[in-house]
Amino acid sequence: MSPPTDDSRPRLASGTRWAPPTTGGMEETRMILFPEGVIKLQGTGRLVLERCDGQRTFGEILTDLQKEFDKTDADKIRIDISTFLEQLQKKRIIDY
Amino acid sequence: MHFCPLALIAEITHRCPLHCVYCSNPLRMTTANSELATEEWISVFRQAGKLGMLHAHFTGGEPLARTDLAELIASARAAGLYTNLITSGIGLKESRLQMLVEAGLDHIQVSFQDSREDAANWIAGAKAHAHKIELSRGIRRHKIAFTVNLVVHRQNLDHLEEMIAFIEQLEPERVEIAHTQYYGWALKNRATLMPTRAQVEKAVAVIADAEKRLAGRIRIDSVVPDYYARYPKACMGGWGRRLILVNPSGKVLPCHAAEVLPGLSFENVREKSLEWIWQESESFRRFRGEEWMPEPCRSCDRREEDFGGCRCQAFMLIGDDKATDPACSLAPAHHLVEAAVLHANSETQTAKPAPASSFVQLQKRTETLWSYRTNPE
Repeated sequence: MSPPTDDSRPRLASGTRWAPPTTGGMEETRMILFPEGVIKLQGTGRLVLERCDGQRTFGEILTDLQKEFDKTDADKIRIDISTFLEQLQKKRIIDY
Repeated sequence: MHFCPLALIAEITHRCPLHCVYCSNPLRMTTANSELATEEWISVFRQAGKLGMLHAHFTGGEPLARTDLAELIASARAAGLYTNLITSGIGLKESRLQMLVEAGLDHIQVSFQDSREDAANWIAGAKAHAHKIELSRGIRRHKIAFTVNLVVHRQNLDHLEEMIAFIEQLEPERVEIAHTQYYGWALKNRATLMPTRAQVEKAVAVIADAEKRLAGRIRIDSVVPDYYARYPKACMGGWGRRLILVNPSGKVLPCHAAEVLPGLSFENVREKSLEWIWQESESFRRFRGEEWMPEPCRSCDRREEDFGGCRCQAFMLIGDDKATDPACSLAPAHHLVEAAVLHANSETQTAKPAPASSFVQLQKRTETLWSYRTNPE
């Protein structure tokens, strides 16, 4: 497999889903549940995965987040997010 | 120190159509008439959700033997749990699978005994292989996660590459390559199941190749078997640290084998809440933390990594549940594991049965080789 391209539409893999919101928990942390595991997401990781809905393309997600973090170098954002998604794809947590 | 339980192992029945020679169920099983009722299990799942647990693993025996399985899955899901069904798939028709998925099943895990039909059925003691292949095709028509569990041992490790190639065409997201661990029936059959060092080393290389080749398609999870490792496994992620097992009769255990331990009594969900059992019961506190630890564990740098290994293995091999797991190379009783390893390597041939004209005859011929798991009454 290779990194996502601008046309890829990242989405959660089969049997991977957001945990239902818990009451009284910290608002900024959300969890993704998958076979035998869980990832807790805050900050950028959460912003990225909330956009992985199978509708938006990787290109659109990037443009969106580059706007959000306009003080950070756009190429660095691309590399970081691409690496992040590729790692999750290898773990079969997302598909694209 | 405060620990939060993460996963519930719901051993909902000990009834099973298979008779696998490596089964980790206890030799003394729960009978069908003492199993928890539907509403008792539903209460367990609700309590687990309230405790902040994340995963519910439905296992057995064969969970499909419970006719209320869909209801149980729905209740676990409603309690906020991620639901995993560990099954042989025997008797799972498309219509029932559909029902389970609609009830909220997230993940299904099907075990394969071998890639070769004859060998697979022989190990399972039942004609199950062809059915499992058919079921695997059906699973891929649903949007759930699919894991294939491959249990490996002396009898099948020589063709691990072939087994991985076989699994590839079933298209799971994950494969668990699990070396047999010696509890329950597997301990009884250890001599016939324990691999040679050469088999274990070759398997490591084969798995590394497969991981590279399948990256992005199939995730492979595997560990080196503890008898061949330098350090013991962190059994259950530590006693009373992460996992709760509820057995078919409602007994709450820190692990699958805990009932073999002497002098420990286990609470039942019929009498106490899961929260009380987790936090207060003597059985869950017994080996939690470090106070119980002997040397060399007590002063070992790895004590927070493997927690002294497995208490049940220490008891079953040494007769002392507080001893360092003999699988550890630093354990005073490590010679016991070394002796078993030496024995497994003294004869590199694998005792195989003579060809038989029928499946029943094959099973008969191998009665001296191993004991098949029996069923509860």
